[in-house]
Amino acid sequence: MSKAIFSSWAGKIVDNRGLDTKKYKEVENLEFPLQYNSYRVKAFMSWDGLVIIDEKINVVDMAYSYLREAQKLSCGECTAGYLGMKVMLDILDRISNGEGKEEDVDFLQWLGNGIKENARCSFCASAVTPVLDAVNYYKEEFLKTMVSKQTTPKSTYITKVSAPCMEACPAHQDVPCYIELIKNYRYKDSLALIRKTNAFPHVCGRACVAFCEDSCRRANLDSPVAIRALKRFAVDYEVSSGAEPKFEKVKKNKQRIAVIGAGPAGLAASYNLALMGYQVTIYDKLPSAGGMALVGIPQYRLPKDVLSRDIDVIKRLGVEFKLNTKIGKDVTLKELSTQGFKAIFIATGAQIGRELGVEVKEEGVVDGVDFLHNVNTGKKVKDKDKVIIIGGGNVAIDCARTCLRLGFKDVTIVYRRSRAEMPGRKEEVEAAEAEGVKITFLATPVKILAKAGKVTGAECIRMELGEPDASGRRRPIPIKGSEFTIETDMIIPAIGEKPDLSFLTKDDKIEIRSDGTIKIEPSNCQTSQPWVFSGGDCATGPATLIEAIAAGNRAAKSIDQYLRLGKIVKSESDIVANLVGNIDLSEQREDVLLAKRLRQSPEELPIKERQGSFSEVEKCLTPEAAAKEAERCLRCYRLMLLAIASES
Amino acid sequence: MVTITINNQVVEAEEGSTILDAAKTAGIYIPTLCYHEELSPSGSCRLCTVEVITNGTSQLTSACTYPVEEGLEVRTRSEKILKARRLVTELLLAQRPHSDRIQELAKELGVEKPSFTLKEKECILCELCVRACREIVGVSAISFIAQGIDQDIDEPSVVHSLEKCIGCDSCAYICPTGAIMVEDVGDTRIITAPSGKMEFKLKKCNTCGNYWAPEKQLEYIAKLANLAPETFDNCPNCRD
Repeated sequence: MSKAIFSSWAGKIVDNRGLDTKKYKEVENLEFPLQYNSYRVKAFMSWDGLVIIDEKINVVDMAYSYLREAQKLSCGECTAGYLGMKVMLDILDRISNGEGKEEDVDFLQWLGNGIKENARCSFCASAVTPVLDAVNYYKEEFLKTMVSKQTTPKSTYITKVSAPCMEACPAHQDVPCYIELIKNYRYKDSLALIRKTNAFPHVCGRACVAFCEDSCRRANLDSPVAIRALKRFAVDYEVSSGAEPKFEKVKKNKQRIAVIGAGPAGLAASYNLALMGYQVTIYDKLPSAGGMALVGIPQYRLPKDVLSRDIDVIKRLGVEFKLNTKIGKDVTLKELSTQGFKAIFIATGAQIGRELGVEVKEEGVVDGVDFLHNVNTGKKVKDKDKVIIIGGGNVAIDCARTCLRLGFKDVTIVYRRSRAEMPGRKEEVEAAEAEGVKITFLATPVKILAKAGKVTGAECIRMELGEPDASGRRRPIPIKGSEFTIETDMIIPAIGEKPDLSFLTKDDKIEIRSDGTIKIEPSNCQTSQPWVFSGGDCATGPATLIEAIAAGNRAAKSIDQYLRLGKIVKSESDIVANLVGNIDLSEQREDVLLAKRLRQSPEELPIKERQGSFSEVEKCLTPEAAAKEAERCLRCYRLMLLAIASES
Repeated sequence: MVTITINNQVVEAEEGSTILDAAKTAGIYIPTLCYHEELSPSGSCRLCTVEVITNGTSQLTSACTYPVEEGLEVRTRSEKILKARRLVTELLLAQRPHSDRIQELAKELGVEKPSFTLKEKECILCELCVRACREIVGVSAISFIAQGIDQDIDEPSVVHSLEKCIGCDSCAYICPTGAIMVEDVGDTRIITAPSGKMEFKLKKCNTCGNYWAPEKQLEYIAKLANLAPETFDNCPNCRD
């Protein structure tokens, strides 16, 4: 960033004050746009430093405004952090009111350093860092205010609070807070908080990919906090205590909204819209609700009654379910409009398996998603012994582990890249191998072998990795002459899915991208038809459960704004995200000293009991383990405060 | 056992114990406030802060929560430590100037008067009551309300649940600052806690007629120990 007058980001000082703009030293460790729409950034203050772009900004007022917000996030459980920040805020308040005393600067430094050194967790320790930078490097501004005895001029600020785990979560769940609540044994409150941004706490407590854990800063010290297991603990407590979720009563809104597809995205949108008071009707072609969460996640990871707990909550909120109903056949979008629906959310998912690229005529080849669907709906799928699964994603792993449970004796995954590129979750891959699944890396089928119309094997070719492709992973290249044969009775391709949008007609005027997904504005889920919204796999291609939930949340927010205001507006937090959203929240110049503590893992079903059984593999944490695990959270909240000028 | 050094003195410490445990065994004094040997540590008061030296650099941490490990190097006395403890003491003294326990600590650490003021609050959020109620009484009637995003609370606090509380007075007993008080007036026990006043009906002894314990507490004990309800008809003094 070349325009900054001053930066202390990550402890690296760049001070261009008094220099000609041509001689400005660049801030090399921080890059963000200084303008977004009509908003211009004048200064930025956050956990790892202070950046001044416009010299007219009043640093004293900024430090006060920042600390006022930061202080609200201090949990209150440590004297140094909570009381220390309170006193610092009192002093800053006094200074900005023109009532500062000469010794106040020393006071601020003493308190700030004391908090930094002796706070119990990361939050307060890092929260005072930019305030100390302001006091240390803009001391004369503070002293000037004390001499002039004038109230400081106020700037306009926008703020956002996040954390590495919150940022990694597509639904931006307030992870540190729901963990804090578990730590304080307030399980019901924890779950109520989870439910603010997640319609599927029961499902996510078991089947979420937990991007949050991948970004947990505790990994730098020992291992990430078991966030998903903690969520599971909170939801299981609800079941064992017989508690009923409570929601705030809202005024009913007469406007009707149709949601197409009762999968995670559609249900999440319905949940949010129902909570806002709208009349929601959700359609699905299948006889049961749940979409991929119902038919695509095997029962050993997600028992059926768990999903129904979340769906029952949505039903109780008054959402009307119209199942066994095919859009385009039983009812068209146009008819929905004439029936009085003011907005539509399309969330039909992606369930057509991509084709292998080799000719398939034989019996014994079943697409991965169809296979899981058949198993989950109780269809007979096994009269064989050997199976190969093509692909390296979560569907492939789910198919392989399901096959083992069905009693297949020989289960092999064939994946064209190496272990490092496997998109399937690492723990799932490891569990599959522990259970007995074999994986042949760097190979792909080129021909299906058959006898009398029945599959007998697959001719495969070995691959090597070349240059990275568009996905960033190294492209597999076939090695000439390396063909080999794997004998098998069944082949399950699980190489990705695409949406089935055949229900849309030209008259619907909904634009579709070349990759077969619905074209939307990603930030608000609006399609080329303003009253039609879409999200989840049908708009993004196959993704995860939590991404679908996030899309449903986003769509609900947009639909509400569209119906209430006639337009979709950006929130303060969205604007901050657009300006400084690329800053890595995991960086921190120094940390408090903490001891290593073992991650508490839930008990698992012994491997020998898994064959032939769909019993749930993972158990729930005990209350003692949950409390211990919750204590491992470092509470890495990041408050970002921007001084802005709005040119509109 | 692991070997650690505290103030250059070699100390044998039990595996799984904390720096504070090890220092106590070795006869090295570290001031504490939110610590109680019968309860799990919380590390909230920050008074027991010590220096842990790793590769020549020192960092402060709370002795009550930090576990010992082989070769750990600890300092319990230094200018840096004293400064940190004094700051915490000043903060506590500003928050609750009328507590004997805090005045005693201030005296010990050489803090005369805090250099700033805070609105007096009796509860210093040490969580001793929360832990005692959970870990000793086994009732979990007190919970800590922490701050966070959109938590919609004015300030962090400890809250008693009247529904769960059995009126046993352990919280009042363990509270170091007098934020929780108990008083028996006639047939009623009154517990005054930061979250408000609570009243409990006291049981009358069939023999001497004295009101001797909250009925709710006796019901709790009877249930826990599987005793007949009439077990507590008489007070301990009038029992055979």
